[in-house]
Amino acid sequence: MVENGLEKIVGRDNVLNDPDKLKEYSGGFNFVPRKMPGCVVKPANIDELQGVVRWANEKKIPIVPVSSGPPHFRGDTVPGADGAVIVDLRRMNKIIRVNASNRVAIVEPGVTFGELQSELARSGMCAYMPLAPRASKSVLASVLERDPILMPGVHFDSTDPMLCAEIVFGTGDKMRTGEAAGPDTLEQQWEIGKAQISPFGPTQMDPQRLVSGAQGTIGIVTWMSLKCRFLSELSRAFIITSARLEPLIELSYYLTRIRFTGNIFILNGLNLACLMRRSPREIATLRDGLPAWVMFVSCEGYGPLPEQKVQYLEADLRELAASRGLDLHTDISGVKAEEFARLLPQPSPEPYWKLRSKGGFSDIFFLTTQGKTPEFAGLMSELAESQGFPVGNIGVYIQPVVQGTSCHCEFNLYYNPAKKAELNLTGKLAAEAVNRLEEKGAFFSRPYSGWVDVAYRRAGDTVAMQKKVKDIFDPNWILNPGKLCF
Amino acid sequence: MKLTKEEYKVLEDIVGSEYITQDPVIMESYNQVWGNKLAFGDKRHNPPAAVLLPATVEEIQAIVRYCNKAGILFKPSARAFEYVATYLASERGILLELKRMNRILEIDEKNAHAVVEPFVTMYELLDAAGKVGYYVGKPGVGYTASVISLACCHQEMTISQLYCSGYGRNVLGCEWVLPTGEILNLGTAGREGGWFSGDGPGFSLRGILRGRAGANGGHGIITKCSVKLYPWYAKSPTQFEMKRQPGEALSEAHLGKVPDNYRVNVLTFPDTEKMMKASTEIGQAELACIVAPAYLGGGSMGEGADEQWARMKEGAQRDPTKIQRSVPVFVNGHSARELEYREKAVLATMEKWGGYLDPEYNDPDTKAWMFQYQTWSLGVGLARGTGDFMVSIQGADGSTEMQLNYRPVEFDAFKPFSKRGSIVQPNMGMSYRPMEHYSLGSSGGIATGYDPWDPESLAAAREYMDLVYDANSPFRRFSYTNRGAMMQVEDIEHIHQRWGPIYDNADVWLQKVRNMLDPNKVADWTGYIPPEYADARAKK
Amino acid sequence: MAWQDFKHDMQRCPRCSYCKYIPWRFMKNLEFMEGCPSAARYNWHAFAAGGKYNISYSLLEGKIEIDDTFLDIVYKCLMDGSCDISCKVGNDLEPLQHMQELRIKCVDEGHLLPQHQPFIRSLRGEDNMMLKPRSERGDWAADLDVKRVTEGKTEVLYFAGCRYSYDKELWPIARAGVTLLQQAGVDVGIMGADESCCGGRAYELGYDGELTKFAEHEAETFKTAGVRVLVTPCSDCYGTYKVLYDKIGKKLGIEVYHITQYLEKLIREGKLQLKKSLPMKVTYHDPCHLGRLGEPWIHWSGKEVKPPGMLMWLHDPPKKYRRGTNGVYNTPRNIIKSIPGLDFIEMYRIREYAWCCGAGGGVIDTYPDFAKWTGAERLREAKAVGAEAIVSACPWCKRNFLDAARQTGDKIEVLDIIELVQKSI
Repeated sequence: MVENGLEKIVGRDNVLNDPDKLKEYSGGFNFVPRKMPGCVVKPANIDELQGVVRWANEKKIPIVPVSSGPPHFRGDTVPGADGAVIVDLRRMNKIIRVNASNRVAIVEPGVTFGELQSELARSGMCAYMPLAPRASKSVLASVLERDPILMPGVHFDSTDPMLCAEIVFGTGDKMRTGEAAGPDTLEQQWEIGKAQISPFGPTQMDPQRLVSGAQGTIGIVTWMSLKCRFLSELSRAFIITSARLEPLIELSYYLTRIRFTGNIFILNGLNLACLMRRSPREIATLRDGLPAWVMFVSCEGYGPLPEQKVQYLEADLRELAASRGLDLHTDISGVKAEEFARLLPQPSPEPYWKLRSKGGFSDIFFLTTQGKTPEFAGLMSELAESQGFPVGNIGVYIQPVVQGTSCHCEFNLYYNPAKKAELNLTGKLAAEAVNRLEEKGAFFSRPYSGWVDVAYRRAGDTVAMQKKVKDIFDPNWILNPGKLCF
Repeated sequence: MKLTKEEYKVLEDIVGSEYITQDPVIMESYNQVWGNKLAFGDKRHNPPAAVLLPATVEEIQAIVRYCNKAGILFKPSARAFEYVATYLASERGILLELKRMNRILEIDEKNAHAVVEPFVTMYELLDAAGKVGYYVGKPGVGYTASVISLACCHQEMTISQLYCSGYGRNVLGCEWVLPTGEILNLGTAGREGGWFSGDGPGFSLRGILRGRAGANGGHGIITKCSVKLYPWYAKSPTQFEMKRQPGEALSEAHLGKVPDNYRVNVLTFPDTEKMMKASTEIGQAELACIVAPAYLGGGSMGEGADEQWARMKEGAQRDPTKIQRSVPVFVNGHSARELEYREKAVLATMEKWGGYLDPEYNDPDTKAWMFQYQTWSLGVGLARGTGDFMVSIQGADGSTEMQLNYRPVEFDAFKPFSKRGSIVQPNMGMSYRPMEHYSLGSSGGIATGYDPWDPESLAAAREYMDLVYDANSPFRRFSYTNRGAMMQVEDIEHIHQRWGPIYDNADVWLQKVRNMLDPNKVADWTGYIPPEYADARAKK
Repeated sequence: MAWQDFKHDMQRCPRCSYCKYIPWRFMKNLEFMEGCPSAARYNWHAFAAGGKYNISYSLLEGKIEIDDTFLDIVYKCLMDGSCDISCKVGNDLEPLQHMQELRIKCVDEGHLLPQHQPFIRSLRGEDNMMLKPRSERGDWAADLDVKRVTEGKTEVLYFAGCRYSYDKELWPIARAGVTLLQQAGVDVGIMGADESCCGGRAYELGYDGELTKFAEHEAETFKTAGVRVLVTPCSDCYGTYKVLYDKIGKKLGIEVYHITQYLEKLIREGKLQLKKSLPMKVTYHDPCHLGRLGEPWIHWSGKEVKPPGMLMWLHDPPKKYRRGTNGVYNTPRNIIKSIPGLDFIEMYRIREYAWCCGAGGGVIDTYPDFAKWTGAERLREAKAVGAEAIVSACPWCKRNFLDAARQTGDKIEVLDIIELVQKSI
């Protein structure tokens, strides 16, 4: 049995083949077809992981790395081939280091946002957060997946906040990237003051980019150093409302252009309601009282003279908003901006916010430019209407990224998974929407199972090159086959 | 043997007879760049077999495909103002000078990026972007640096990296003619929606485009690139009047004052360590657009080396350590409030660390000079000295603590050379270029001066380089030589061979990537990594 | 310094390519950022000053020989000195002097450009490079009521120069120049047919022997005629008399003025009154030999030294470089600004870093297409700043601009500053 070889590497207790356990990893959510893995293996450290990878090469058995706990929504951790072995990395769950003087933390795959945040807070720091990740979400996985962060002003590169990483490639070889590479152990590096913050190289390539957005098809990351930020001594949060998206986008463009420090993102009323309330009824009630669009901006006071900083940020923000016919609100329809702000440094409380409205959701997200988001939002509504999907069940989240040079645009189709009609309608709308959005210029840079083919249809040259790169780093194609273009 | 008649004819048919030459006289203007004496023992290296001036991507593809067929080495060249910029590893090698591809194709003001062709200089983009409120960064190598060379192929910016980043992080997509002649568009390059992302779908192929250093022309030709732009609150460089007194030489002309939405302060501290820590704090608080520890510059260099030397001697009477304890800090602001807060916060941090504003560095004229120098350039007066210098071959990237630990290693290594006096490091050595508000730490850099025409100086320079490149030296722990294989021209044990094994076999992977990209070995690998090392070749 | 003495420069040119552009911090419009017409027009780096350092070095090292390509590169150059100015903003090199010595070497060793020969023969036979007989030299002033210096001692000599003497279309300007001086009460004479070439253009081609010959001849002639002041409307002649003769140790020992300097003086003294309004938008083109190349020569001899522990090459005694700073720039501008009604607007490339008209370095005779192209580029710049007329202070500039305008069909008026003054009197 395949498990025998694996048990020798990780110990019997860390190889799972109980069908109920395997089912957790088999998908079935979000239109990802179910596929049961052969077994699950749980390495404790890089040596064991390397052993597993070498074993997989020898046996030509595919392996699928998983860092987050269930439920898994996107399909990237569901086996794409029969008999695949899930490599669950959650036993590797240490926060290896928190270094406040360099604003960096080093985490293993199994660390969640909640765990990281409480550890960082002890050193006066905070993680760069995505929007309300689920509680079981791995920080490392979220960053590798290029989940957008809420602070575009300091989002210099698409890989941010990722810095260095330790990777086991599909060959079983390991590499530490950036400043982490070299003859010393991490501890020895710390002795000479290195903090694993320079991400470049080593030398004339950037291997960390090859695993970012790769869905585990190029290498498995065993730890990652992350940019963190100082906790604000004080902050002020504001909600800016509008019946139309365009004025908010104009403001967002300016704020990101001037590198306004703070959280900046836009939601539609439904998504704000889902984040602020728990039950479907509460969500519906709140949503009815909210404007169509809300923009959240926070003025963060860290560094010297924090009060003066927040003061000027607020004054500037107020002026900028006013010049565009917008007001700053601290409270809208019972939603207090400060209360909302307190949610943001943490993962989503249960139930996961996207499940609250209808029990199920189908995400569509892509990159575009901020200015095109109204067009895409309009198209999404049109398509929903044409197919009989209630427009009021579509959540929207617009997140400027990479200092405003592009924008993560996300539509959440909420539906009741227990109702087959809704399930089918949602699936149909999602497929049609992905196709039409891409035709209009949506860049599906993160190709999950709902839109892989569409994502790659204009990228034949990228496909060809990614396959050649995979041939180098995973010559036997044992890492998560069936994902991306593989 | 260089090119046969038939080979030349094929290439000529691609670009047109006016845009190709193999004339031996003209070839001699494509083989002499500063740094050559250090690398080759002479100002000139072997000339290329031909130089071509392609105008379009299609011409480049045709040339590259033919090179594959005929076994001709090729190398793209923009301004060719760097080490081994024109060198080809085979006499059957051609240069593709990209001077006819010199357009700024687009400046997307809303989405803050510019799409350029290879021959566009930093200065041209600074000017065009400046007119619409954007900035690109300041290249250490001066005005003529090509935007694409810096962003994709070589090193990149210097002191502006604090808030403008660098080393490839500003690439939002590019059009890349591979060594096979195929085109690879990274991200959204070439798409109608705009060149706003260089990554995906899936993982980013920017990972093989470059790392800390680029491939220096060794893996094909980047024919278009989208680069991120940064906010700028003043006029463009061409819109400023230079202040010059009647009878003063052109070199004395400088900005009359620091532009209105900027403030320059040079902070001096009791010691280098406090200066570094204050700089780090200021940078991490995201207050500044430039923090340049120990990197004072700008100012009149005097008319001629003799006058410059007289001023240096006079300066040396003053405290020689002051530069190493000082840091220029520039702040900007989109609003008066922002500007005021930032300057106040900088000065508060200065006071916290016991610093002060030394009058020598803080008079308005000096500040204006410094602004111009650190923001754009004041040119590269290499030949004011010896016509050469070694720049930042060593130097590690990372945290302030690491830099403070690295300094004595570097000083100790250089001490014997300093005693001999045959190579010099001005200003007592290292200056620092922080990146992304110190979230990536900073790059250390030193300009080590030597005289390539003085045998003793040249020998000392080579000895020092050997030490820096020695993977068993004290530098070993700090970083893989951060310019990649810039200086490797000799067909002996390769720099990558020495460092790769102690840096997680990075060279093995890099070589595999190189050979995957260029299976027929026609992209010149000087300054990148050879398809196989000399000893492996010898064994065959 | 002989050509091989520029080895230091050849070795130290870093290939920054700044020689191809005007100094960066003075750029005003990047459509007009180039400074070197050769580098702008011709494809290869060899055509830039830095490229010439390269080919010189290779020649010195015996890697190449002087062949047709070599000569083509050497002589497709206007010797305008823009490269020199730009290089020297940051470096201590002498690109222009190097190229001058390179030309002298070519000539000395018998590598003669065939296209030059008729002009040199004309110079040697007829004392002019206009391919015209000496006897016709004075025709421009045939019916002018002005003293001939041969008739008696004349303190102020109005020296027309070859171009004015033989280019009939330009005669009215030459005549106007001397007439203005007379009107201002200057006791001025001319040499008429007894004038001979200053030798400057031949020198620029590399015929340094001709310069020496004519310098000695002129010195003797002027002494005999009792000339104490020489005023010339030709910038080339001005540059030759003022700078080149001094360079070769044949300083004339008389005062040398360009006509603009003399006219400015007369205007200031009230002896010429500019009364008539000329409502016109004009721009001024700095002739190379009046501007950057008109800067007085700086003699230096000494040695290169390197102090201990110092890597810079210094000089003993310290060396001052000519960087174009002390050329004649303000004088013509002052005249233009004092003419009522004129709306004066500067071009983007001016003063030390002006773009050449295209006539220099022998190019107007040897490579007329290149000359016209260069002139046309300048006219394009004049139009770009909105000028209706481009005003210069040299007949070679005027001639080349006229030819360029005729070829391109440009409507812009081409004037000499003398014409403006004459119209305003």
